[in-house]
Amino acid sequence: MATTSNSNINSINEEQESSSTSQDSPSQRRIFKVIVLGDSNVGKTCLTIRFCGGEFPQKPEATIGVDFRDKDMTIEGESIKQLQLWDTAGQERFRKSMVQHYYRNVHAVIFVYDVTKLSSFENLPTWVDECDRHSLSSNIPRVLVGNKCDITERKVVSTNMGQKFAEHNDMPFFETSAKSGEVGESVNNIFLYVAKKLKSQKPTINMRAGFGGIAGSGRTSVRRLKLKSTGIQGFEPEKSKSKCSGSTCFS
Amino acid sequence: MSKNTDLRHRRKVSQDPTKASKSDNDKVNKGFESYKRDKLVAIYQALRSDPVDVAALRKFAISKGGLLTDEIRRKAWPKLLNVNMFDTLPKGVNIKEHRDYDQVVLDVNRSLKRFPPGMKDEQREVLQDQLVEVIVRVLCENKQLHYYQGYHDICVTFLLVVGKESSVMLVNKLSTHHLRDFMDSTMDRTKHMLNYLLPIIHKSNPTLYDFLQKSEVGTVFALAWLITWYGHVLNNFRSIVRLYDFFLACHPLMPVYLAAAIVLYREEEVLNCECDMPFVHSLLSKIPQNLPLEKLIVDAGDLFVQYQPSQLAKEARLYYKQSSSLTTFQQLEESSQSQRPDSILQKLTGRNASANEVPLSQQSNRMVKVAVWALSMGIGAAALTVLNTAMEFWT
Repeated sequence: MATTSNSNINSINEEQESSSTSQDSPSQRRIFKVIVLGDSNVGKTCLTIRFCGGEFPQKPEATIGVDFRDKDMTIEGESIKQLQLWDTAGQERFRKSMVQHYYRNVHAVIFVYDVTKLSSFENLPTWVDECDRHSLSSNIPRVLVGNKCDITERKVVSTNMGQKFAEHNDMPFFETSAKSGEVGESVNNIFLYVAKKLKSQKPTINMRAGFGGIAGSGRTSVRRLKLKSTGIQGFEPEKSKSKCSGSTCFS
Repeated sequence: MSKNTDLRHRRKVSQDPTKASKSDNDKVNKGFESYKRDKLVAIYQALRSDPVDVAALRKFAISKGGLLTDEIRRKAWPKLLNVNMFDTLPKGVNIKEHRDYDQVVLDVNRSLKRFPPGMKDEQREVLQDQLVEVIVRVLCENKQLHYYQGYHDICVTFLLVVGKESSVMLVNKLSTHHLRDFMDSTMDRTKHMLNYLLPIIHKSNPTLYDFLQKSEVGTVFALAWLITWYGHVLNNFRSIVRLYDFFLACHPLMPVYLAAAIVLYREEEVLNCECDMPFVHSLLSKIPQNLPLEKLIVDAGDLFVQYQPSQLAKEARLYYKQSSSLTTFQQLEESSQSQRPDSILQKLTGRNASANEVPLSQQSNRMVKVAVWALSMGIGAAALTVLNTAMEFWT
């Protein structure tokens, strides 16, 4: 029979940990839209699934077009209604034709590469340029993530290389593993960092201002990010570093 | 959020056949068994005819249950695509040298979901190697074709039904016809195909269309449906092959008509969703696994006959003007032209060729329009008969 609005909400939020969506009116909602970019097979889908509370997929699949995931969050006592993650296909043809629509109104960008695949690191400038071309302003938080750092024996992109690129592009840098919670920065903390950054940066979100509204990249040194040491050995245990993943630590 | 209860259209969720009672099911099953028996006999008869009765095969592939078994599919799919299975494509090409080889391997390695659960790893690995070979051999044979993520979802379906060598032949034909637009270096022509989706919905249900437009959801939620023929989004392999029967027998735009049928079927859910792109995209892109496929196939056919592509093209043109990322109608026509299966049409007899010459603009008869469109778009003259039959069946 007819589908109720409840089951509708469940289907939208099936990957969320919190289910408080139905309690608040849309006007109270703060939504942060985050786009996840990077080459094919670097682990964009696995990272977003892990963050949204899912297990590391046993049978991961190529993303076709764009997938959407979301998670309700509470940051420093304030309920951010949602962190919306747009998980994009890595193949160039999708990037050129299909993904543009999703750059619209984006509040933050997460660039992902695979530490075991040099080409995925070497292609990062293409992804950064892509963002610039879509008029995403320098005010939009951008984060660099080196994924699969649990595969130490096949690591070809050193932490130093990742860090240099991040510094050059004014981005905080994390190494992580969507598969293993034991190594690197926890996936959760990376997204938490992004959420905090957004919260501190934009108390009021203009939902319709993003697309084409800001001309040029203007990527100047507006922010001087104090990057934390990201050597694999240097990672702090997950519990103790929560204090450091807030915006104050990075800005 | 408005419930929009006053805006219901003819498609009601309560028609869901999965809700039938047990005794009803027994009757239906009995009826279906007998229908299936009769159909099997008829299909084999069509296959044995000289020449093969392809028109009948198309009808069977479309009608309830499709081609029923994989054994029949192995015999009938090549006929639907006009492929001589005694031909072969060159073997021994160095597939590793192909520009798309690495991407293919990445995607095939991540295609575990597409293989039957419980299959032994060693067996699956052999099939994965074969899948890479099928894909890249076809790409090597057709230098103009570009691999896209999702192509592997189509190829694996063929591999699992007809085996490696036959897959190479069938996918080779399909790639230069039904899938041709997806395999350009860009996805512009794929977007053109997707742009039929909203006009179909507009025709059938203006309220739902308005809602979708207002939400700015676009059509990317249906991208994987179209370019994988639903192979990427349906978990049940039997459902996938059933749809392949349907699509192999039909117009290349039929996957888009099915997408429209699915969205229309979910009208109530959609209208109850928050009217904003992420929510609507999320709802629609997660395709329910218990869809009443047979009903939706009939719906899609119904939509196709009611709102023919040629008629929609005019409206799609308006739609394109509103969308800055889209190109002109002329280019759409060109893209349609390039899907013409020359090899099939050249082999057709004078009877079919004359049907192809009917000028579209001078015809008022709806059936002729459908038939001519079908011919120009690439399902071949044999479909004329099927469309006549289908017309009676659907309307």
